[in-house]
Amino acid sequence: MSGESFMRVSTRQIQKLNTRKKIIETAYKVFSEKGFSVPSSVIAKEAGVSHGSIFAHFPTMNDLLISLLADFGDKMGVSLHVLAKKCDSVEDLLKEHLKVLIEYETFYSRLISEKNRLPDEAKNTFAIIQSTVAFHFSTVIEREIEKGTVKKLPIHMLFNTWLGLVHYYLLNKDFFSDSNESVIKMYGSELLSTYLNLIKNERKV
Amino acid sequence: MKTCIACGMPMEDISDFAANDPSKDYCVHCSRPDGEMQSFEEKKENLTKFIIRTQGFNESVARKIAEDMMRKLPAWKEYFD
Repeated sequence: MSGESFMRVSTRQIQKLNTRKKIIETAYKVFSEKGFSVPSSVIAKEAGVSHGSIFAHFPTMNDLLISLLADFGDKMGVSLHVLAKKCDSVEDLLKEHLKVLIEYETFYSRLISEKNRLPDEAKNTFAIIQSTVAFHFSTVIEREIEKGTVKKLPIHMLFNTWLGLVHYYLLNKDFFSDSNESVIKMYGSELLSTYLNLIKNERKV
Repeated sequence: MKTCIACGMPMEDISDFAANDPSKDYCVHCSRPDGEMQSFEEKKENLTKFIIRTQGFNESVARKIAEDMMRKLPAWKEYFD
């Protein structure tokens, strides 16, 4: 292959990748705002690509959703991993978890509220994201249980209680706020201090 | 940054790598005590147990999620073809 035609091929490939990226980014925004049942024509219009172009990259809406969720899971996983590595206490770790949730709050809220209507593969991607959180959570909390600073309760109950609390506020945002402000920004510190009070052992004086 | 071929974990510090060896492509959690990488069945079993212990899921659901996690990783590609 001559240098010139090689350049042409790679330019075309780059364009293809850019279009794919644009579709995924737009779908992320549109799904966040309007939910996962938005028709592909809306995403095409918003992304400024032809309707056919979406099908060329993603034969079904399901394919688009799976790619988007895998992408989202990777991003959230890396953010969490980088932040969680330097945390020695459950308090620091959960603060970082809240920071990551604020970053992805609109999409994440949509995901937890519509999860049960999504195909199995998409549901499992959600479980994989939570497993990354659970990995860091269990590492830190097991250390604290051993030191006696956290009550000796089953790890899965400690983890699910935290998620249950945070998800309740995310799912019922309309009850807790009348503005567009992040519900985690508004209530995160109260959720965290209450949770820590529940799970921590009383300090012996 | 390298990521573990067997579980996808990003590996930054030397202690993240199997046997503290940065030339390895898999992490400390995916290796056996002798430093070799765990087999497909071992990894699936360990991931399933991990999901149950940390998230309390039903066993067969946890096993399915463990398989879905592994499906996307280069180390286990041949098991899903």
